[in-house]
Amino acid sequence: MTVIDPRVQEALDGERDPATLPPELREDYARLTGAAALLSAAPATSVADRVMAQIREIRREAPAPRPPNWLLRPVTFRLRPVWTLAVAAAVAAVVFLPFREAAKPGAEEGVAQFVGHFPGARSVEVVGSFNDWQRGALALRDDDNDGIWHGAVVLPAGQHEYMFVVDGERWVSDPLAGRYVDDGFGAGQQNALLIVRP
Amino acid sequence: MTKPAPRGSPLVVSDAPSDSSVVAQVLDGDAEAFGIIIRRYEPGLLRFAARMLGSADAAADAVAESLVRAYRHLAQCRDPEHLKSWLYRITGNRCRSHIGRRHMSDIALDDAPPLADPVDTWAVLERSEQVALVERALAQLQPEKREAFVLKHVEGLSYEEMADVTGARIPTLKMRVHRAREALLLALKELV
Repeated sequence: MTVIDPRVQEALDGERDPATLPPELREDYARLTGAAALLSAAPATSVADRVMAQIREIRREAPAPRPPNWLLRPVTFRLRPVWTLAVAAAVAAVVFLPFREAAKPGAEEGVAQFVGHFPGARSVEVVGSFNDWQRGALALRDDDNDGIWHGAVVLPAGQHEYMFVVDGERWVSDPLAGRYVDDGFGAGQQNALLIVRP
Repeated sequence: MTKPAPRGSPLVVSDAPSDSSVVAQVLDGDAEAFGIIIRRYEPGLLRFAARMLGSADAAADAVAESLVRAYRHLAQCRDPEHLKSWLYRITGNRCRSHIGRRHMSDIALDDAPPLADPVDTWAVLERSEQVALVERALAQLQPEKREAFVLKHVEGLSYEEMADVTGARIPTLKMRVHRAREALLLALKELV
């Protein structure tokens, strides 16, 4: 193995002015920087068209468009007390009726229950392979403020990967999942694994 | 924070949307906006993959698969400000997967021109021959060293960015780069 003089390494790391290298070391420096320059030409090809074609295909196969973020942001209303009960009843009618319908699994579906202990969290949601990792699709609830967040959703039978998103920014693997799979992005993060049976 | 322009230099205003805003646009349902990300990073990703795999065709396949995967899992990009590192990480993983399926020396030599006559000198070699020689020397490096050299010297990433891409610690990456330089220099001296 050729050992490169540390001064050449320093120059290549940008820690030393190459002009200060002794003449006998400049050849190694020039050869390596020249090699890097020769490798810097990008291949004269493009995959943009085929990638966009696949993305459009994915979009066509997607079950339904996701609502825009502005629809998912929490909104605070100030109401006179007399209106509070009426508005609460109306909201309950809109929110809970569709949920009950969705909670009836079909023959090839099952109900997945999610529970996480996140004391002090302002919001917890579940993202996963079943909702294309899109946020805003499945929010968990902590009605009694005890830090236990829970929710349920009907999913197709089979194996699904998921993670919790806490306070909209912290991605947390479910410590109670029991099964995990590498998220494939190389940073050592693991997605929790869920198996839904009909 | 925006770095102020030096005194006396013209103020350059870029209309290009930030990576974060493009990611938000795509996640809001505008799939076509992903084309901005492709145009922005495709050349570098193709170059990186080509240097890792030693074949333009294999690189195109790896980058196409990586970009589609990135689109599918864009919501998993936890820090869109570091989208570039995230894309390189996905592409690097895909390249490692390709390398794992076949031996590097089986790939690089297919497209390479014949070796130069030993009496030739570096200076008189044509540029295409020089490129072929350097590619051949690069192909002789272990994948980890090859990746380190390419990310550092071809893609111009900082050691911090390289750590984001590879998941390795900075001292480890520095050692890999140093070893890669030594191995590459040796290979170049043997080939020319």
